[in-house]
Amino acid sequence: MDVLIASTAEAFRLLFSGNPEIWEIVGISFRVSSMAILAAVPPALVIAFALAYGSFPGRRFLISLFNTFLSVPAVVIGLTLFIILSRQGPMGDFKLLFTQTAMGLGQFFLCLPILVCMAHVALQAADRAAWETARTLGANRLRAFFTVLYEIRFGLMAALLAGYGRIISEVGASMMLGGNIAHYTRNIPTAIALETSKGAFAEGIALGIVLLFLAFVLNSLLQYVQGKGSINP
Amino acid sequence: MIENFHIGFRDISKSYGSILVLDQTEINITSHDCIVITGNNGAGKTTLLRIIAGLEKPGHCEISLDDASPEPWRRERKRLLKTVMYLHQQPYMFAGSLRRNIEYAARLNPALADRESSVQKAVSWAGLEGLESQSAASLSGGQKQRVALTRARLCHPQILLLDEPTANLDNESRERTLQMLHEFRDSGTAIVIATHDPGVFSDLATSKLHLQDHRIQADDIGAADVVELDSVRQSKKR
Repeated sequence: MDVLIASTAEAFRLLFSGNPEIWEIVGISFRVSSMAILAAVPPALVIAFALAYGSFPGRRFLISLFNTFLSVPAVVIGLTLFIILSRQGPMGDFKLLFTQTAMGLGQFFLCLPILVCMAHVALQAADRAAWETARTLGANRLRAFFTVLYEIRFGLMAALLAGYGRIISEVGASMMLGGNIAHYTRNIPTAIALETSKGAFAEGIALGIVLLFLAFVLNSLLQYVQGKGSINP
Repeated sequence: MIENFHIGFRDISKSYGSILVLDQTEINITSHDCIVITGNNGAGKTTLLRIIAGLEKPGHCEISLDDASPEPWRRERKRLLKTVMYLHQQPYMFAGSLRRNIEYAARLNPALADRESSVQKAVSWAGLEGLESQSAASLSGGQKQRVALTRARLCHPQILLLDEPTANLDNESRERTLQMLHEFRDSGTAIVIATHDPGVFSDLATSKLHLQDHRIQADDIGAADVVELDSVRQSKKR
């Protein structure tokens, strides 16, 4: 118990003293995850929209496929991309393995199914009359698309936060694709794993506190936006 | 004012799976028309309106505009979406205020010279002053109907399609709706109304059709009425 208390106290000291190594790791985490989710949002919305409003062969299969991807472990995505990006793989020439881009790619594929499935559910729950009203008022497809997205913005925010929460805390894909290289691909989860293995609990706890704080902020945001979308007066 | 036009929808067929809804039927719509369509539940009234609006893909349909040769529905769909407006039985209100809903329509009409004053005029026309900042979702059924008609007015549609527009409205709201529809018709917009209660539109209607056995049939409107209504239409065109 003493170790835990002492390590936690040391963790807070590290955080508040502005330890550059800790904050660099935090910065890498946020940068990579933010880029990954920003890249995933547009295709996810288009796919979700096509699944909700489109009528094409294989639509149901695609819905099942994306739902299945929700439960794929991060290490499986990491392994698949590792094979693709490794020297012998089909994209080996790009030399992306053990880079932030590779980590971002892994996170992209991790959050894409979450965004697609949650946006699809939100679109299904939305009134189709929103799309039809926009179209009959003369809006082109793109305008009507953004109109409908605005109508389901609370559901989309929830999807965004869930997706971000998933990728910023995942360790498997980042470890395999980034290689946990100090000052470059070491992010919060891989650093926690490393520090814990070294017995440097204070650093691990400090980074854990950042993740916990982030989870709290994301959930508070979610509660806030859902509260705004409440059906209560 | 809407320029005079005539548009014919021919060979309209539509099935949902094995269920035949419309079978090679047709409808002609001319400016200043007010066509009331009746029919039992499931007869295909809403489907017909949605095909005319460009929202529902028919199995088959050809469209002829004025004297032009018929074109397939698919080719004319874009034009339908721009010139025809469909009002749902329960008009959809976008999130936000009443004003935002009306401004949305105003923004989609590039022909409006002064958007701000057009919106204000439209709000006054519908008698919705003082409600501009109110959440559209909290409006009554009658007020939503008026918002929907106001949005339509700002888009100047050639054809206005209404699905049971007076269902669940009180007398006052019904009268207001009818008054607004009269103004649409007078400006040249053709109106097509699907309803179970055609009597409400007796003063407005220029023709009455009945949808039965998957086809449109002329209803038993009196010959004198037809002559009178035709003369009203001709005078409007002049």
